[in-house]
Amino acid sequence: MTNLSMTVKKNIPYIAISVLILALLAAVPFFSKPYTVVLLKNILMFAALTLSWALFSGPTGYISLATAAFYGVGIYTAAYLGKVLPLPVMVLCGGLASFLLALIIGAITLRLRGIYFAIFTLSSVELIKQVLHWFEITVLGTRGRPVVKISNTTVYYVVLLIVVLLMVTTYFLKRSRYGLAMSSIGSCEDAAAHIGINVTWVKVLTFALSSFFIGLTGATTATGLIYIDSHIAFDLNYSFFPTLMAIFGGIGNVFGPVIGAAVFSYLREILITRFPYAYMIIFGAVMILTILYLPNGIIGLVQTIKDKVLGGKDATASSRKVN
Amino acid sequence: MTKRSVLFLVLAALLAAALIVAGCAEKEKTAEEKTEIVFGAARSYTGPLAIQDQSCFGPVYRLWIDEVNAAGGIYVEEYGKKLPIRLLKYDDTSDMNTMTNLLTKLIVEDQVDFILAPISTAFLKAAAQICNEHNFLLIGAEGGAKELEPLMKELPYFFSLLNYATHQVPPLAEMLAEHNIKTAAIIYIEDQHGLEYKNDLVPALEDAGIEVVFDKAIPMGVKDVSSIIEEAKSKNVQALLCCAYPDENFAVMNQCIASDYNPDVLLFGPGACFEVFYQIYGENSEGVMGWGAWNEKSSDKMKDLAERLIAHQGERNMDWWGMAIYYAGLEALQQAIERAGTLDHEQIRDILATEKFDTVIGELWFENGGVPAECYPGHVGQWQNGIFEVVAPKDKQTNKPIIPKPKWKPVTQEE
Repeated sequence: MTNLSMTVKKNIPYIAISVLILALLAAVPFFSKPYTVVLLKNILMFAALTLSWALFSGPTGYISLATAAFYGVGIYTAAYLGKVLPLPVMVLCGGLASFLLALIIGAITLRLRGIYFAIFTLSSVELIKQVLHWFEITVLGTRGRPVVKISNTTVYYVVLLIVVLLMVTTYFLKRSRYGLAMSSIGSCEDAAAHIGINVTWVKVLTFALSSFFIGLTGATTATGLIYIDSHIAFDLNYSFFPTLMAIFGGIGNVFGPVIGAAVFSYLREILITRFPYAYMIIFGAVMILTILYLPNGIIGLVQTIKDKVLGGKDATASSRKVN
Repeated sequence: MTKRSVLFLVLAALLAAALIVAGCAEKEKTAEEKTEIVFGAARSYTGPLAIQDQSCFGPVYRLWIDEVNAAGGIYVEEYGKKLPIRLLKYDDTSDMNTMTNLLTKLIVEDQVDFILAPISTAFLKAAAQICNEHNFLLIGAEGGAKELEPLMKELPYFFSLLNYATHQVPPLAEMLAEHNIKTAAIIYIEDQHGLEYKNDLVPALEDAGIEVVFDKAIPMGVKDVSSIIEEAKSKNVQALLCCAYPDENFAVMNQCIASDYNPDVLLFGPGACFEVFYQIYGENSEGVMGWGAWNEKSSDKMKDLAERLIAHQGERNMDWWGMAIYYAGLEALQQAIERAGTLDHEQIRDILATEKFDTVIGELWFENGGVPAECYPGHVGQWQNGIFEVVAPKDKQTNKPIIPKPKWKPVTQEE
């Protein structure tokens, strides 16, 4: 029996439950209120961004703040190609555009480490925003573009598909040789290089793969924005939110970013609709408490509760899984 | 994996499923008697656009709702009574994605009766399409632009309210030509707002026999504009027209004072029309122009509105460009509802599109989804003795323009 089939067999309950939840989510538009679809679409969008971020930053430990750049590229791709291409092709183009951009940014920046990498990626958002802004104003003589609107239900299914693809990719990537190479880079990059891993290549490719999914998400959700300009598309919040959501949910597990995005975006929805002037304060407090008391995020808390409920051998194993 | 572990997972999955199903459950609708009209607002109460809610449309709709409720509400014949207004407001955090989601929530989930416009032209563009999809009326507020014109024609439920370059540039050019202005320079913000004004100003000034010495774009948030001001000064430009937002306009104003550059005409976009401009610059605001415009001298009704707005806010926080126009838009909506005798948007829309309304700025009506130039109380204002006087067009003047504007007064430091 291969390692893969053994892993699948071992995790049959997880897979079965995931399929059940997926089936339930797929059925939501048939029996829910129209706004529930919009709300879940938004949650799934953040889940996709957070999973994409965690795909690269989770194992490697490189904190990328370029999510807004790749998300914005996806949005602009939708604005430019939405009228001439069918939705699946347009979405794919958004992903590919972000992939190519990430290859370039990654090749330049991924020799940098720590704070330098984080600052460079953050600056890349502003750089692309300003270049696009300059191009529109001076070359095109206009600013902003309409985006072809597509029904919320269609967008919902496409984003759901992206999330599923991301979860499957993350799961199998983590268990592949490539995933082990990423983890070893995260543990000790110099040691990883010494044992023969082409660290730059692994980092650049993972960075581009993660950006591909961010681009897909941007191109898809752009269709709900109707009108965009460079300031709307390259909003730095879309760099910070996925990072915070991943920390909030827990990075070490494929479900962590999804749970973080779901709880975080639902909490945000509740706060901005009910406490418009206090939500940032409450948000800040929640994040501080999470970092202080839940270093492994919500998924870590769930694991701790599970360990206490189950106790013994199984608990030890599950505790190791989180870490 | 142990049996207990599987049980734990099953319980967790059931909890997740229950949450999804609970979130999806339809609200039970009951045929309750209508007791109020709910206005929904997905506006920016935080973030960079929030300042506009505090100083532009915000004080106006809050006053209007309080006044309508003090009078018992809006009479709707269909219900045979006056219905008070309740405001349901959400913060879009100055984020487009949040605004579009919350607007949809207001319409489809909260089932509000009417929508108050979001802030900015960009947000208005998106909101207009969403509202139109749901056959929901949307009357604009902070945000007016030439680029909205196609939407005004294509989207029957969208009505643009505020005046913009199309209305304001011709009377300005006419006034400048009449006062023998021969040279002008344009500074414009690098976005659609700046481009629109620049693109309208250049041909209008040239047609009026005024040479445009230069037009220069400035980025948002720019702090140092000294080179541009020095160039205007060295070329002895008579009229400096700055089509930017408050932050950039204030930077240009500060630099003009610092460089002791006294053009005959100094005009700013949004910012000069705010009372805070006079509060900041005091005597040095004398003679500075801005788009707008209305004031307490425009009419008795507008004087009364200004007094009510000041009393309601507890401070002289006035926007002498939009506030009277926003209030007039709400009055038009109220009258349209009362004439229709129903809250049905199609019937109210037909009345808004075809009839005239008696409002604080006088008779107001819509043509092709926009307000004709003659309805506005003024297009260009000028600070004169602490009043933002209407100086153009001529038939709306509350005072004659002062051209050339007085020279800068030395700035004295308060002890």
